[in-house]
Amino acid sequence: MTAAAAAPRPASLVRRVPAGAGAGALAGLAGGLAFGAAMVEQGDMLPTIAAIVRSDAPGVGFLVHMVFAAVIGALFGMLVGREGVRSAEAIIWGVTYGAFWWFLGALTLLPLLTDNAVLWTLEAAQAGLPSLFGHLLYGLVTAGVLVLVRGPRSAASRRAPTPALARGAAAGAVAAAALLWILTANAALLADSGFAGGSRALLWLAGLATGGLAGGAYGAVYPRPRGGGGPAMIRGLAYGVALWAGVAVTLVPLLAGDGLAWDLAGARARTASLPGFALAGLALVVLYRAVSALVGSLFEDDPRADEDEGAGTRFLRALGTGTLAGLAGGLLFTGVLLEVDGLPTIAGIAGGRSTFAGLALHLLIAVLIGASFAVLFRRETFDGASSLAWGVCYGVAWWFIGNLTMLPWLLGERPEWTAADLGEGFPSLVGHVLYGAALGITLGVLRLRSRAWWVSTSAARGERAQRQREQLLSAAPALWALVAVIALVLPLLVARA
Amino acid sequence: MRRRLRAEPRLLAGAGAGFVAGAVIGALRTGQPDPAPHIAELSAHGTGLLAWLILGPLLGVVLARFTSRGMGTGPAVAASGVLLGMVLWVIWSLSLLPLLVGEAPRWSAPLAGQAYGELIAATMAGGLSAVVLIALGPLIPAPAARAAAQEERTRIVILGGGFAGVSAARRLESLAPRSRGWDVTLVSRSNYLLFTPMLAEVASGAIEAHHIGAPVRVAVPRTRFVRGEALDVDLARRCVRVGAGEREQELPYDQLVLALGAEPTYRDLPGLAEHTLTLKSLADASAVRNHVLAQLEAAEGEEDPAERRRLLTFAVVGGGFAGTELLAELRDLVAAVARFFPDVRGEPMRYLLVHSRERILPEVSAGLAAFALRQLRERGIEFRLGARVAGATERALLLEGGESIEAGTIVWTAGNQTSPVVQALPLEQSAAGAVKVDACLRVPGAEGVWAIGDCAAIPKGDGQHPPTAQHALREGKALADNLAAALRGGEPRPFRFEGVGMLVALGHRTAVAELRGARFTGFVAWLMWRAVYLGKLPGLEKKVRVLVDWVVDLAFPRDIVLTGAPDRLSEHQAEAPAEAAS
Repeated sequence: MTAAAAAPRPASLVRRVPAGAGAGALAGLAGGLAFGAAMVEQGDMLPTIAAIVRSDAPGVGFLVHMVFAAVIGALFGMLVGREGVRSAEAIIWGVTYGAFWWFLGALTLLPLLTDNAVLWTLEAAQAGLPSLFGHLLYGLVTAGVLVLVRGPRSAASRRAPTPALARGAAAGAVAAAALLWILTANAALLADSGFAGGSRALLWLAGLATGGLAGGAYGAVYPRPRGGGGPAMIRGLAYGVALWAGVAVTLVPLLAGDGLAWDLAGARARTASLPGFALAGLALVVLYRAVSALVGSLFEDDPRADEDEGAGTRFLRALGTGTLAGLAGGLLFTGVLLEVDGLPTIAGIAGGRSTFAGLALHLLIAVLIGASFAVLFRRETFDGASSLAWGVCYGVAWWFIGNLTMLPWLLGERPEWTAADLGEGFPSLVGHVLYGAALGITLGVLRLRSRAWWVSTSAARGERAQRQREQLLSAAPALWALVAVIALVLPLLVARA
Repeated sequence: MRRRLRAEPRLLAGAGAGFVAGAVIGALRTGQPDPAPHIAELSAHGTGLLAWLILGPLLGVVLARFTSRGMGTGPAVAASGVLLGMVLWVIWSLSLLPLLVGEAPRWSAPLAGQAYGELIAATMAGGLSAVVLIALGPLIPAPAARAAAQEERTRIVILGGGFAGVSAARRLESLAPRSRGWDVTLVSRSNYLLFTPMLAEVASGAIEAHHIGAPVRVAVPRTRFVRGEALDVDLARRCVRVGAGEREQELPYDQLVLALGAEPTYRDLPGLAEHTLTLKSLADASAVRNHVLAQLEAAEGEEDPAERRRLLTFAVVGGGFAGTELLAELRDLVAAVARFFPDVRGEPMRYLLVHSRERILPEVSAGLAAFALRQLRERGIEFRLGARVAGATERALLLEGGESIEAGTIVWTAGNQTSPVVQALPLEQSAAGAVKVDACLRVPGAEGVWAIGDCAAIPKGDGQHPPTAQHALREGKALADNLAAALRGGEPRPFRFEGVGMLVALGHRTAVAELRGARFTGFVAWLMWRAVYLGKLPGLEKKVRVLVDWVVDLAFPRDIVLTGAPDRLSEHQAEAPAEAAS
């Protein structure tokens, strides 16, 4: 430590500035610049902000925007510093934080501050879609800069992440190859996704490179994956949607000279690639985690594995509790399917058309997914909130995997992912959300009932507090909120005002 | 109700937070256009704000119930609030509200678009409820310490870890969430629940011994388990003395359940305790298997034909379930492994079942018993029906009338008696020594004492319920329900159960079965036996292990590895010639 570093700072000054606020404000300014640049490109957003100070000059609007960006960034810095969130996880918190400020700032406070009525309508939200993308960018850049400013928080994260980067790049390339295979096998889907312009070879090259880069970036940011396979799926889903926003809606149109495609028409025109990106992101993170776990199990000794009750017991326990929980969720989902006459479609998987066959098959699938949930989230669901939240997230993930992708294939059709197709699948999304909620709550109740007599109430509380801490550090609540944002954005893209 | 609300102030705080959020969101929503017809109709009647004032507290209570206080829980509470808001939108705006205005919910994208304002409102309400709840956090008192409540818990002690005792404990566990004031303790000398119907297969080496024992600690994880032997019960002081090795402890109780089962009795016949094996535990089953294999090993090197014939004589006393199944299985074991003993292979084996009555398997109908007798006779099993055992020596089984049957293996399955602890109690008992109980399983004249299983004489019309596993299981559940009812001030119900039926395995993939009056024999009955008992075997893991054992047994020969120390009977027999020589 140098003498300068060791010299005490004026105590009063330290007391006046809350920890993290300065770094947060700096990061917020960087985020504000990125968002501001996008607003300049979009053209019509800055005068709206200037109206807060009763002006319509874009320059004034930019200044007001930067002040807000710094203040909101300082707040973020304080929150992240207070909770001790790990550097890499702060990025997920940042994106969620940005989305939060779209609802609170753009949709609620901005109309109030500019003497307009608060309008939470579909039209208002669709008109504010560019602002939503901007807020997401702001959150991402703010969190990223904050991570850089604060520096790595542990020795582990200071290590050169070359193997992780390579693993991530490989996982990304494989996931991208799978997505490209789906797209190129379906000419209509390729055209709807907006990637049919150039040659196939160029598309594959660019796609694989993008996948590799995305995977490498993920590996660099998260060299040591945390959490189980279930959270990895949800994390991957969110990463995939973020990649869609960053690549399909932002970079590709920019490189094509079309400007940002953040408005409703631009985003809706690229909706057909959203499920593909979401699934590719999911595959990327799950693959990356699987390879990392394999490497870890071969070359690292994890003492926590000693407490594991064994794959067989886990599987059997999950089969028992997951079957019940999946059945509860499946029965709730059945109400939606009966109303929209979806059971005969499900019966088509087995070549039938009867409602009864569809119901039996639907409940079987519900039970299997329930059992997989019990296995994948066995360490993550320990109270009502985590059970419900992971359940809903898992339900949404299965809407992408099952309803949008596997079901068409099992019916002998090719998946169509246009905004209209997603709109048709919206009742199923509602059903999946209800299914996930019932699944999570039922499983949570079943697990609560199985507490052993020797675990005292205080010990159980202590264990729960420890898990809550780990959950917070792994940015799980941010992921839940991000999945909620995804579900909130979908109606914007598929519903017509 | 008042007590419950007092105990959970966080729920009240949640309701308050939800009310604030509902009021703010409702006020912001007032005057906003509602393209969704059902929501517009609600708003037109001026009930939009009212709905939010009701929905808000509801949302807040659920949020408070699902989340917990503590450092670092704020972000999780906030995210949960947003997600709960989304779920509320799906349930309320898209599902219930259309129903309330007489429309069928459709959950379509256009309708979701029309109700988008409600979606934002619901997620905002969830988020705002969370923020208010987090802010109220420091003001919410911590849950009161439950030490006092712990002291007031009703102490329920169950003596016996068999079907009846474990079944009662399991049922009490399932009732426990509604009555947290119970402290259930189960005392058993073994730490596993033995699945006795498969014991004969363990003795024949078809199943690994520990696969039919379910650990009590796993079966009843929320019950306090004490491994030890009940030594005596002091009904006046309401406590049980339990011994575990050198250590003794006293367990006070408020409610006592006697489920100590039965133990083998030799009826004071000479030599039986020293020179016969029994089949009541896993150790017994393993000892039988080891002893039979040891006899084959001894016979392989034996020069004297008479001694070899004695070594290859396997006698079982008792023609009930246990004895019949055991001898059939032993015959299969010897037949399967004889190929490994070249000198023994061509020798005639003698299998003998001695039974005091005129027909075996008194528990099943005469026709099935006759079928079983015929089947087993065709396989070379010899029956001595109506013969009574007078005793045993180290080399022979003695029958009344003076007949002596030379046998290397004698297994005694012919008699059971209730536990000495039960017999010593100053309670009215049946001729067999079982405690007499009323129809609700209470022991008359002993407040807070109940009895079930083989140690209880449970009235059924003019007679008693038979001491079988299926009865013990139901008695355990009925007792737990009655005990719970009594503790809650309710009325216990009389125990009523008609047996489902009987299944007896006869080895060689045959069995007899009688289920609800329908009779089955042969291979079909054998499949039913396996399916039913595999289903009844406690624990999924054990089911899988036994299933794997059965599959392996189909594909590979029985193992002839002799494990553990020589069994007690072999030691006696080994000593006898030596003593004679000296």
